[in-house]
Amino acid sequence: MDPFVFHTPTKITFGQGVAASACDAIQEIPGCRIVLITDKQLLKTDLVNYLIAQWQAQNHICVFSDVLSDAHLTGVNEAVRLAKNEKCNAIIALGGGSVIDTAKVVNIILTLGGEALDHQGMNNLTSRLLPSVAIPTTAGTGAEVSLVAMIKDDIEGKKLLFGSPFLAADQAFLDPELIVSLPAGLTAATGMDAVTHCIEALVVEGTSSPITDCLALDALNRLFKHLPEAKKDGRNLEARSQTLVASTMAGMAFSSCGVGIVHALSHAIGGQFATHHGMTNAVLLPYGMRFNLGFATKRYAEMARYLKVSDKENDSVAAQKLIDSIENLISDLGLPKNLRSLSVPELDGEKLQQLVALASSDPAMIFNTRQATEKDIVKIYEDAY
Amino acid sequence: MPVFKNAEDLNRVMFALWDAIKADKSMSSQLLRSKLTISFIYREPDSRLTLDCSDGEQLKVYIGETNFKPAVEMFMKSDLAHDFWLGKVNIPLALISGKISSKGPVNVALALLPVIKPAFKIYPAIYQSNIVEENG
Ligand SMILES: NC(=O)c1ccc[n+]([C@@H]2O[C@H](COP(=O)([O-])OP(=O)(O)OC[C@H]3O[C@@H](n4cnc5c(N)ncnc54)[C@H](O)[C@@H]3O)[C@@H](O)[C@H]2O)c1
Ligand SMILES: [Fe+2]
Repeated sequence: MDPFVFHTPTKITFGQGVAASACDAIQEIPGCRIVLITDKQLLKTDLVNYLIAQWQAQNHICVFSDVLSDAHLTGVNEAVRLAKNEKCNAIIALGGGSVIDTAKVVNIILTLGGEALDHQGMNNLTSRLLPSVAIPTTAGTGAEVSLVAMIKDDIEGKKLLFGSPFLAADQAFLDPELIVSLPAGLTAATGMDAVTHCIEALVVEGTSSPITDCLALDALNRLFKHLPEAKKDGRNLEARSQTLVASTMAGMAFSSCGVGIVHALSHAIGGQFATHHGMTNAVLLPYGMRFNLGFATKRYAEMARYLKVSDKENDSVAAQKLIDSIENLISDLGLPKNLRSLSVPELDGEKLQQLVALASSDPAMIFNTRQATEKDIVKIYEDAY
Repeated sequence: MPVFKNAEDLNRVMFALWDAIKADKSMSSQLLRSKLTISFIYREPDSRLTLDCSDGEQLKVYIGETNFKPAVEMFMKSDLAHDFWLGKVNIPLALISGKISSKGPVNVALALLPVIKPAFKIYPAIYQSNIVEENG
């Protein structure tokens, strides 16, 4: 067996209604003052308002809700200002990946000082951060357990990477009731982000382990079974639970082994055109999988058999069946199938070159099982357009 | 036992290596195109080596502190740097496990990995001639 490292520091509590006790997790801090990070859309939901009122009745909590989709640097800076003024010493993130990533980088700055850009990079944080709780409202990014955060630099039009075991929330509360209000389109898109995490984690080069394989494979199976149900009937709490737990498992997996070319290409598109992360992954996933096919045939075949989309066929037939079934899933979920449908403008000339440069230097690319040349990336973008 | 007995040994080998990379047109031209400034901060023995490609014309190598802040800083043990140049390091695993840590847009540096790979072939000879023979 090859050497590996697996790291998952977050305590995970799952169950209907568990979000209500999220504050208990950090209340013991003497003089606890909490900054709650969320977004405007979530503040419109009854459950989020009820939770905040309940928490505020017993704790000092100030609310920051100006997080934009894709976690912008400006949101981070504004939240830091508020939390400093309010002398906050603990953080709760209540939202999707954008909220949770914002909270992570806010926590870095509150704890270690300086500005976000001072801390960009991998494993350079020198100490534990302020106590933090993450409550995901999408299923999802897995950001509640992951060791990374991606923040959009609006000026440069690219995503900044922050990575450290200290970035994982101390506690994650997985409450399926909070996902019920997620609209069908976003249910499908965020679910496909989790599907992409599983598939990419299962074919990375040199970092996977029996632990990441096991988490990603089981999570993929749950998503395959329950994501269409969750999209069809958002109030189906069993389907919400299954997809929520699966997305957390996928987050634990990719945190310790990385993702791959689909994320690299998707980060570049998202950085330039503000497309939704999960939606962009869904479009690019079949193209990325076909690109890796010759290098991942055996792994794809194993996934196909585990998902029971293939039985006794040889590896190459089974691998092709996996790609077919991913395409079917994307169709069933009613998700867009090309970049044009995401309102990405025609890709040519300088714009295409810029995208290719961003994608080929994306950190996710070093984990990909097949090295991609600039020509390969152009071809995938053109095919996916 | 660390591979490099002291910082002088480490600096001599790394300086010679980067001299050879500078002399190789195909590697140096691609590095210069990146305009990257990057410092490698080594531990055990401790040293700091900085590459400056910022003017796009001349690749400059500095040992020790510089009077400019590099865009990227990479931190690792000197032994790991030696293994890296021998082509023996699983870079993704080293990054995930924290054996290599970084500050700044590490992606820019990672994108240059394929560019410097040809230097893996010349490193053993450079190491030999700057360490073993000198000491022997
Ligand atoms: N840190 C990580 O490990 C990691 C992993 C993957 C993605 N990400 C990042 O996560 C971000 C995407 O996160 P996301 O896909 O969760 O979407 P999001 O957080 O951007 O949310 C998308 C939209 O859904 C709304 N929403 C969220 N939950 C809702 C709910 N329960 N009810 C109603 N509306 C709700 C939000 O208000 C927002 O308008 C990207 O910035 C991406 O880079 C991070
Ligand atoms: Fe993702």
